[in-house]
Amino acid sequence: MAEKMLTVENLEIKFDLRGKKLNAIRGISLDLYKGEILAIVGESGSGKSVFTKSFMGLLEQNGKVTDGTIMYYGCDDGVPVELTSLKKEKEWYKIRGHEIAMIMQDPMTSLNPLKTIGAQIMEAVLLHQHLNRAEAKAKTLEYLKDVGIQDPERRFEQYPHEFSGGMRQRVVIAIAIACNPQILICDEPTTALDVTIQAQILDLIKELRHKYKLSVILITHDLGVVANIADRVAVMYAGDIVEIGTSEDIFYDPRHPYTWALLSSLPQIGVKGENLFSIPGTPPNLFTEVKGDAFAPRNPKALKIDFIERPPYFEVSPTHKARTWLLDPRAPKVDPPEVVEKIRNGGLI
Amino acid sequence: MLKYLAKRIGRSLITLVIILTIVFCLLRLMPIEGYFPNYEKMTPQQIQVGLEEMGLTDPLPVQIVRFFKDLLHGDLGTSRIYRANVAVTEILADKVPVSIKLGVFSMIVSLLIGIPMGALMARYKYRFFDKLGTMFIVCIQAIPAAVYFLYIQLYGTQILNVGLLFDINNPKYWILPVLSMSLNNIAFYGMWLRRYMVDESNKDYVKLAKAKGVSEGGVMFKHIFRNAFVPLAQYIPTAFLNTVIGSIYIESLYSVPGMGGLLVTVIKKHDNTMVQGIVLLYACVGVLGLMLGDVLMVILDPRISLGKKEGDR
Repeated sequence: MAEKMLTVENLEIKFDLRGKKLNAIRGISLDLYKGEILAIVGESGSGKSVFTKSFMGLLEQNGKVTDGTIMYYGCDDGVPVELTSLKKEKEWYKIRGHEIAMIMQDPMTSLNPLKTIGAQIMEAVLLHQHLNRAEAKAKTLEYLKDVGIQDPERRFEQYPHEFSGGMRQRVVIAIAIACNPQILICDEPTTALDVTIQAQILDLIKELRHKYKLSVILITHDLGVVANIADRVAVMYAGDIVEIGTSEDIFYDPRHPYTWALLSSLPQIGVKGENLFSIPGTPPNLFTEVKGDAFAPRNPKALKIDFIERPPYFEVSPTHKARTWLLDPRAPKVDPPEVVEKIRNGGLI
Repeated sequence: MLKYLAKRIGRSLITLVIILTIVFCLLRLMPIEGYFPNYEKMTPQQIQVGLEEMGLTDPLPVQIVRFFKDLLHGDLGTSRIYRANVAVTEILADKVPVSIKLGVFSMIVSLLIGIPMGALMARYKYRFFDKLGTMFIVCIQAIPAAVYFLYIQLYGTQILNVGLLFDINNPKYWILPVLSMSLNNIAFYGMWLRRYMVDESNKDYVKLAKAKGVSEGGVMFKHIFRNAFVPLAQYIPTAFLNTVIGSIYIESLYSVPGMGGLLVTVIKKHDNTMVQGIVLLYACVGVLGLMLGDVLMVILDPRISLGKKEGDR
């Protein structure tokens, strides 16, 4: 496979909340390859954002990486950097933006309302590319054009409030690109947008990935988005990646009961009079140590061992692994729900 | 913008005329003693003659029109009691500059200390400097000004080796009144700027700026500070103009010959023409201050556009 950009090994992140410890990320391992789009899916609170924020040292002050390592291989000099060993803010400056850039969820609030969008994009250019002001401005105009903003000379001088939501997200993307990063983290980039705009933004991300040779981490809870754009998918549940594989693996051959449940909750076209599927129960309380498979209490078909011991990763194929006891040779055969069959037959998505 | 300004100035003028007319009419209802320094010793005939001389027996509308006509010539009438037969403008011309000078110095000092203080407190939130600043603010807010003003006067004059009373020509004598006047404003600017900056620093655009790789100091001063300063900016013109009014307590403490307490004094003495003149001054200050505040906001915040109707984008 392609060159590795980032390796996460056994990462644990804990938050201090009023004297109690919250186990936000519970031992995640993950590789990110050059040029791919890796989608991280999971419900709210599963730790998707926290996980990726730790790549940039942007965790809230009460959050700490307590175990594991994050290695970054994309530096210009080729020397790997252990991100988890960076302590001071200053050490992060050469990573943030320069190596890893981020697009946030809500474009309505992620731009400084008092600065022209030109100035905000140019700030990133000046910080990360050694150019003088005139060159930086020319570059900025180019980026504006790249993200599909018409009439960039005029738009350069305008303020965020003169842009619509979709346009602002394009500006935010332009800012991220202007940092000239290797990795682009998109934290639910389409959640706050109109459905009609979502596809455009996703197409834009796809296009820019090729143009600027980016590795993209796309955080989302929308499986439709994932199917559209991702090369690989990681399914997160309760601070852990329960299944990871290529898009085909996850959609056509899902193995973890949680992935099944997620796919079952996709609204289906043409089914009338039936309630939409919803996963029973709530995610586990992360203030307490989770025992066994975190999803077991919500899984009607859970095995006994699911409540006792945490499953390891079982490899389905070289690209596909899942953390479920169902893949153990000794496990009884449990059939995936019918929705999986339907997807396989092209009935969905 | 220009069109808006013209409109705004026009409206302000109308407001001023209304205020003055109302005050003028109300003052005409006051007892007539206020027009004569030696009212008790005068005969009814003398009083009648005096009133006619001053035009006070004319119908009210005539008097109002005359008042505004004089005003256009810069004539505010003559003081009758406070300083008998001296033009009001002349009295004010003596006092206003002293108060303004004192006030403007104090404003400059408060801004120069208060703004950096607030910014640094926000920058080092919960650290030593922030705690120190908070302590200062709490002290200033909690202790009645009269108490620490007295201590400043007592010990300050000893330290600086100056007299207790003000000497307008000696710059050394300006230090203590200016300092006393500034303390409260320093606390005000420090407290609000810190608060607004802390509010701003939790916003998404700050997170994006950080993710962009902007340094912590850069984020604070290039992004947060200006956003936090906008709500404060609105009050600065008013604060500057209010220096005309002077500070009653400081000016009396150091015997500064300024405006402080003048309105109260002349009202007590029933000096109606003086009251009119001072009310005019105060009204101008208030109206102009609000207007300049709004204009400053427009300059600082591109989202606010005064020319257009609300809701326009």
